[in-house]
Amino acid sequence: MTPAAQTAITPAASPTREPVDPVYRQIRDLVYKVSGIYKAEEKLYLLADGCARRMKQVQVRTPRDYWDHLTAQPSRDGELRQLLNEITIGETYLFRSPPQLDALRKVILPEIVAEKTKQITKRLRIWSAGCSTGEESYTLAMNMLEERDRLLKGWTVEILATDLNDNSVETAKAGVYGDYALRSTTDYFKRKYFLPFDEKKLQVRPEVKKLITFSRLNLQDDSKMLFMKGMDIIFCCNVLIYFDGPSKTKVINHFFSNLNFGGYFFLGTSESLVKLNEQFHLVHFPGSIAYWKPSLSSGKL
Amino acid sequence: MIESVSTAIRERVQRIEAMPAIPAVFLPLLKMLSDPGKDVALDEVVRLISYDNSIAAQCMRVASSPLFGLTHAPTSIKSAVISLGLRRVETILLTCCLGQAFPAKKWPLDPVVFWRHSMGCALVCRKFSEKLRAGDAETAYMAGLLHDIGFMVNCLAFPEEFQRAMVRAVQEEVTLDTAELATMGFTHCDTGRALADKWDLSQDLVEVIAHHHAVEQSQRAQPLVALVHLSDLLCRMRGLGYGYYERQRVDLLSDPAWAVLLKAQPALEEMDLVRFTFELDEGVAEIHDLVSAVLGPAPARA
Repeated sequence: MTPAAQTAITPAASPTREPVDPVYRQIRDLVYKVSGIYKAEEKLYLLADGCARRMKQVQVRTPRDYWDHLTAQPSRDGELRQLLNEITIGETYLFRSPPQLDALRKVILPEIVAEKTKQITKRLRIWSAGCSTGEESYTLAMNMLEERDRLLKGWTVEILATDLNDNSVETAKAGVYGDYALRSTTDYFKRKYFLPFDEKKLQVRPEVKKLITFSRLNLQDDSKMLFMKGMDIIFCCNVLIYFDGPSKTKVINHFFSNLNFGGYFFLGTSESLVKLNEQFHLVHFPGSIAYWKPSLSSGKL
Repeated sequence: MIESVSTAIRERVQRIEAMPAIPAVFLPLLKMLSDPGKDVALDEVVRLISYDNSIAAQCMRVASSPLFGLTHAPTSIKSAVISLGLRRVETILLTCCLGQAFPAKKWPLDPVVFWRHSMGCALVCRKFSEKLRAGDAETAYMAGLLHDIGFMVNCLAFPEEFQRAMVRAVQEEVTLDTAELATMGFTHCDTGRALADKWDLSQDLVEVIAHHHAVEQSQRAQPLVALVHLSDLLCRMRGLGYGYYERQRVDLLSDPAWAVLLKAQPALEEMDLVRFTFELDEGVAEIHDLVSAVLGPAPARA
């Protein structure tokens, strides 16, 4: 392939930013292979920044030396985990992925509602698995409340939000957020679903909290995972990266059986299952990707 | 489609006064660049372009734009090719040609949005084809670039009818071909085919233009038609659609076109579609910028 061919679909070099060391593409591919997280070409600098912080910690000087540190024993596994921490840190805020919310409200909800109307129970169950400090859970709850008088009229909505970390769960329950977490929340949502907490922060209104049950859960606890049945939608964003291959497969298999037929599983926007479960159907919505557990009527089981 | 409608479209396309006159260099250029198995001779391309001053000038202007971040603006088509690579220049050239054929006016479908989709689809088709090592990536590129020319025919030959289809698509958030069928009784595949015949495009390209929404109806080059169909869907799912929300779930792996392509290209089995999707995203910003550079200022990203 000619050099021109390789660059055909990649962006032109930005005139303002230094080109990144090609080693970072190798690191990007390694990170993708191990975690399913993909850092796109224009986000490579973020990966490079994360690597730079790690390089300082472990005292290696060049990206090439860091590559060796990342790939050679005994440092390999531990270092990769540290790097993943570094590149996914602090990325959570409310309304983080509008395309996922659009898919949920415009495509998935009408579909599930139509499917379930034939059933007697009008109940929708959503699970925010690895909810961290609650931003995603509240975003989901607010969006469901927006449909309360329309699609979800007469429906009971339950959102289960779980995390391994006790402190995160407590923070989530409080539902108090500052500017950073609220940077993508519109005034409409702020006015409708928040109350002032102090001069700088807002707190989620009780009516939103009422939809959510926060609890501590270890996704690797098989016996507890078996009880999380009857989910319509599961969100598990940027959590699976912390698991090794076999545990990841096990957790995904749990998610698959926890979902109702016709249910959907969402990962973070740059994450992928990379063939971890062949029963899920990969589906595209405008701007987002999800995994679908075929419905009984679809003939795709 | 019933025969009388087909004849009516054909007549309307033949009669239309403002029927796109394609710049003279376009078809030879297309042929030269899509000739399989033959290395494109740089000098030939440069010679061809020199016949059309306005295309050459426009190409140089785009190549010199900040988009490509060249420290020295190229002084000739040849130096542009050396700095940017033949493929970028080729994309610029073809876009300039098509931009001239369909000058931006007040149309139901914004030409900027339209060319973003077409160029996006062209690049995805080529990348897809390269991933599969499916032989002729350049033909795939051309097929992607031209697959929707029927929309431009709609804008010129059926502006009122198409306006209604467009409004319906945006309001109901349904696919454009669904709205076309519901309001006009035919689609851009039918009108595109009429133009493709008039331009005397290759049979394979005609097939793509006519059947990219119904791959099973294609009689020849079915894998190419399938490849364009899948690339088209991917583009519409990744920010290179028609500027409005299409309310749909796309299951590419269950699409009949996937099976058609898989049969012809067993390498498809191994493809990581999610990664391919993420890689596609990397090209979106450049396509937006490139189309804006060719056609002038553009509305915000849809």
